[in-house]
Amino acid sequence: MSLRRQGTTLFSAILAFVGAAVVLQLWLLTVSMEALLSGAYKTLIPAAAGSSILLLINACLLRYVFRFDRDAQRG
Amino acid sequence: MNTQDQEQGCAGCKAKVTPKWRQDFPIEWEGDHYVTRREMVKFLTLGSLLLASANWATVVASRLLHRGSHVERNIGSASSLEQRGSSMLFRYPTEADPCIAVRTPEGKLVAYSQVCTHLSCAVVYDKAENGLFCPCHHGLFNLAGQPIAGPPTRPLPQVQLEQRGDQLFAVGMEVL
Repeated sequence: MSLRRQGTTLFSAILAFVGAAVVLQLWLLTVSMEALLSGAYKTLIPAAAGSSILLLINACLLRYVFRFDRDAQRG
Repeated sequence: MNTQDQEQGCAGCKAKVTPKWRQDFPIEWEGDHYVTRREMVKFLTLGSLLLASANWATVVASRLLHRGSHVERNIGSASSLEQRGSSMLFRYPTEADPCIAVRTPEGKLVAYSQVCTHLSCAVVYDKAENGLFCPCHHGLFNLAGQPIAGPPTRPLPQVQLEQRGDQLFAVGMEVL
């Protein structure tokens, strides 16, 4: 199996994970907006922290994708 | 046949083997999938960054909104609420925020936002039910601010009161 073909499979899996994380972030944002409008401010910081953790995971995966791409271009 | 003709001939042979659409769009599916998925991961991560930023923006917005709910405000004389089962309307933290203070039948002084958490009608004190009644959709809150009947599901924001001499001061507001 060529490195590029491996990359396609790997990117599909990463894409599915990142997509699920973005849907979760969207849900967290709707929860935050509802909490903000109803004055329940205690919910906001945990929601923002959760969203940031998901962003961090996504950024790490994107970094991995870039590294893999660089290796695939070299090889 | 010179070298140039040979080369052209070879090109002609290749053209016969390779279909026309392939010449116009020389993209292999494998390469295409590789690039589009890589770009989609990039795009979604950017979306993720925007969503996380929007979440933190709600935190900042809450701090700005919450700042106004810690001001002190004189809401009137305590003697006007001496009688058990009496109520008084006031505005807190701004002139645009109606609130209600009630002396409960047990003698405790409580105050809540007058804005119903269902659809923002003004709640009033109902002596018979011993609670705060919303006339729009027949919602009822007990004197702890909790919804006990009708469509509201969230409690009323509570106003913290302090009595100094004969004067009553609203000093803060919190969502239960």
